[in-house]
Amino acid sequence: MRTRGAVLLASIVTGLALGFVVASIGFGDFGELNRMFTFQDLRMFFAFAGAVGLLVVAFALLRVRRTPGRIHAGVVPGAVLFGTGWAISGGCPAIPIIQLAGGYLPALCTIGGIVVGVRLCRWANTHFLHLDRGSCGL
Amino acid sequence: MTDYWPWWAGAIGLALVTLFYTLTTDRSLGVSAAWDRVLHWREERELERLDAAFDDDEALQEALALATAEEFGAPAAGHGASSSGGIGKALDSGQAGSDIDSGRAASTAAPAPRPAPLATHAALLISVFVGGLLAAVVAGRFELRLDMGEAYRTLVTDNPIGMVVTLFVGGVLVGFGTRLAGGCSSGHGLSGCGRLRPVSLVATAVFFGTAVVVSFLLWKVI
Repeated sequence: MRTRGAVLLASIVTGLALGFVVASIGFGDFGELNRMFTFQDLRMFFAFAGAVGLLVVAFALLRVRRTPGRIHAGVVPGAVLFGTGWAISGGCPAIPIIQLAGGYLPALCTIGGIVVGVRLCRWANTHFLHLDRGSCGL
Repeated sequence: MTDYWPWWAGAIGLALVTLFYTLTTDRSLGVSAAWDRVLHWREERELERLDAAFDDDEALQEALALATAEEFGAPAAGHGASSSGGIGKALDSGQAGSDIDSGRAASTAAPAPRPAPLATHAALLISVFVGGLLAAVVAGRFELRLDMGEAYRTLVTDNPIGMVVTLFVGGVLVGFGTRLAGGCSSGHGLSGCGRLRPVSLVATAVFFGTAVVVSFLLWKVI
């Protein structure tokens, strides 16, 4: 049984490791990110794709549950918005935190934007969109 | 200053982090979901409170059903001990909603476990900051600065006001987009694609493809 304390400890260890690994790969560096997305340097792309490959094998070997997930109406437009935001700000949701930790103070603007965007999405969905968006990582 | 990690070290690192979280918490790693819950902490806290109350009700029903069975010698109308508390308890104990199935149940979609407690998501985000800080200090890259680096100045804007506006707008798109799509590069990209979930494969292909197009525009056109 996963107690609350155990999940909390696991989250702290995961956060520390995730921050360390993502920063050490270079995802917080806008130049590295742009070189990945423009295929000038595939090092970070291979890191990401390699991780997915390892996880596919590990999850299959460990028979990890395949959580239900359907392709709902928000997937494609949401992913387009996310991809655009990632390319112009250099931040997926964890990266601006890592950029700030590395001393890039303007990343606070990206974090502020994420705060607004996340709250705006739930508000818009509650009042207008009414999408059953599903969710990862809950 | 040390170099960034080679691709294989990064791949192993990202995979280990995702695997560790999945195995130890029985849940999927997702940073945008953590943002969402932390930023709606009032609503989420209320949901957790209701969830706990529901749990107590289930336990009460189970006790009543057992007492009824003892008194009258039969299960109470098909409910009671065999079913009351079933879902809640099973999910709590990580059985019905377990991420690690044994046997043929692995091939079927089991109900998802309850969300991780709100505090654990806040801890995750704070820990990401500490981990990033450690990496920057250890590698000798930590430096307080008011810009986003030479590449940002060259590719996006060298105007400080333009930078602030672009970063903020980018952040809004990231926040709105990830929640609309139901996940980000960790939730869909690592956890979801690792499970070969169709929704995650589509989301990852679309957000990565869009980022490629926009990055080419920044590099070659704008």
